[in-house]
Amino acid sequence: MKNIINTLSNLDYRTTHKLQKKSLSVLYSIFRLVILLSIGFIIIYPLIYTVVTSLQSKYAFLNSTRVWIPTEFAIGENYAAAFDAMEYMSSLWSTFKNELISAAIEIASCALVAYGLARFNFKAKKYYIAILFLTILVPEMMIIIPKMINYSHLDLFGILGLINDASGVDLRPNILDTPWAFWLPSIFGVGLRSGILIYIYIQFFKGLPQELEEAAWVDGAGPFKTFLSIALPSSGVVILTVTVFSMIWHWNDSLLSGMYLSENFPLASQVSRLPETLGSKYHIILNARDPQGIGYLMAGCVLFIVPMLIVYMIIQQWFIESIDRVGITG
Amino acid sequence: MKKQKRNRGIVELKSRYGYMFTTHWIIGIVIFFALPLIQSIIFSFSEIEVVGGGIDVHFKGIENYKQILLVDANYDTWVTSSVTSYLYSLPIIILLSMSLALILNQKFRGRLFFRALYFLPVIISTGAVINHIFRTTGSNMSDIGVSDAYSANMISVDDIVKLLDISGEVADFITTTISKIFDLVWSCGIQIVLFLAGLQSVPQSFFEASRVEGATKWEEFWFITFPMLSRVTLLVTIFTMVELITSERTTLIKNVYSMMRAGNYDETSAMMWFYFLICGAVMGLFVFLYQRFLVKRWE
Repeated sequence: MKNIINTLSNLDYRTTHKLQKKSLSVLYSIFRLVILLSIGFIIIYPLIYTVVTSLQSKYAFLNSTRVWIPTEFAIGENYAAAFDAMEYMSSLWSTFKNELISAAIEIASCALVAYGLARFNFKAKKYYIAILFLTILVPEMMIIIPKMINYSHLDLFGILGLINDASGVDLRPNILDTPWAFWLPSIFGVGLRSGILIYIYIQFFKGLPQELEEAAWVDGAGPFKTFLSIALPSSGVVILTVTVFSMIWHWNDSLLSGMYLSENFPLASQVSRLPETLGSKYHIILNARDPQGIGYLMAGCVLFIVPMLIVYMIIQQWFIESIDRVGITG
Repeated sequence: MKKQKRNRGIVELKSRYGYMFTTHWIIGIVIFFALPLIQSIIFSFSEIEVVGGGIDVHFKGIENYKQILLVDANYDTWVTSSVTSYLYSLPIIILLSMSLALILNQKFRGRLFFRALYFLPVIISTGAVINHIFRTTGSNMSDIGVSDAYSANMISVDDIVKLLDISGEVADFITTTISKIFDLVWSCGIQIVLFLAGLQSVPQSFFEASRVEGATKWEEFWFITFPMLSRVTLLVTIFTMVELITSERTTLIKNVYSMMRAGNYDETSAMMWFYFLICGAVMGLFVFLYQRFLVKRWE
């Protein structure tokens, strides 16, 4: 007893303070871990459930002891059905042709616009920035009908329409059902959510040191040469971020493709209409009393997610690092 | 004098370059943004007939709006349910993603793992597939009836609320939040990424200075991090709003979209415009208050 009192009184203020601080920080790290794990569980749970469900047959749903570990496998049946219903290979090609290529075009053309807005001062810049915010603000759904109607008779500023009125020759091309319906807006930098991409680019370009570019100017390089050989090589970080975003949004887009195409849909459209396709193909109605289709549906979801997931696993290290260096200030 | 002239030359040259880099974009804005936007307003005041390959537009005033607001029995409920769910989800998503970004920005073991995990919703959540997944798991799991067997054995949220004796609206709020928790957490992906990117641009020297002055963590957050993040917060808020408004999971968008695909162009334009104006008004009010009370105070 005496010993304890002695040691306690010997502990001076600094040590107790240190101890207190240390125990607090340990407590805090436990708290942080608990929070991260529990919210991480919410994120991972639907995915695990999807994968497990996609592996098993309808009889597994009758077995209430099964939660995580799949029983009654029906992998072949589920995946073959989903693969068939989604016309997987041709949809994958359609996704690549329509969506991913237009994402690549968008990444390049948005970089140009953003560089112009970030580096140079001109009179109309204020209004351009305001327009940029407007494009971020107005949802694509608002303007998709007029866009679709315009695409069926693509007309640049009414010139081709005038020719049509004058001579009766209809030169206006119908770009619906062709990849051009996706490529053209991307070429002009107004593709799918281009506003946000331009904004991210602008934030990054503003932070790039100007001295190198000034030096290139003095040495007589033109603005495009400067952009290509000085600015772009040092913006790998932002290009990676923008690429990831743009690819993801295009891969997941079922709104535009559902309106612009009438056949050869990309994967996102196919997966969003999978319940109807299953219904017409296998006479499956998705409801509570019929678990048959759920396995098929979840297999379709897995088939849709997996290519993205593989790409994500490959690039995630760089992506996570690039987030640290993009720097958005607003 | 001479120097001034040369400077002006460079300024002019630079402004010309600025226009050069953005010409294609402005052309694109006119063709693919401004024109369709105006057309869509016209459509909402007209009657549209699909003739052959093209369309016939007859102006008929506010008939469409009268139709959707006074005659259509469903539209009112769609709008109210969409707007309330949007008003309710927005603050939760912003708060959740901001705090998660703050945590993920700290240095600790396993940070890379958790970051990779928390960015997962980014690749999936904007997609159509999420509807299917959520319909089968998560919030309305009981609709499908598959998991009744074992969810009955667990303690439900209702039990806890009853146990803690929370009353009325607070209890309702808690139960709806928890039943929507999957939806909410999964909507945080891109927001977390944007916040994390924003956090990197807060200069470290500010924190060093505040540590010397003996500021607590809470003061550091409230007086340094939060003000420095104000613009990013605004961007994230606007982004989230647009996401929530146009999410295919809202009843209004789902129904309007299927009507659009069925070829109903005039009424759906009116529906979209009315809905967007309401949401836009809320958004504008929010941005105004935000600028007025928070950003101004810091500047």
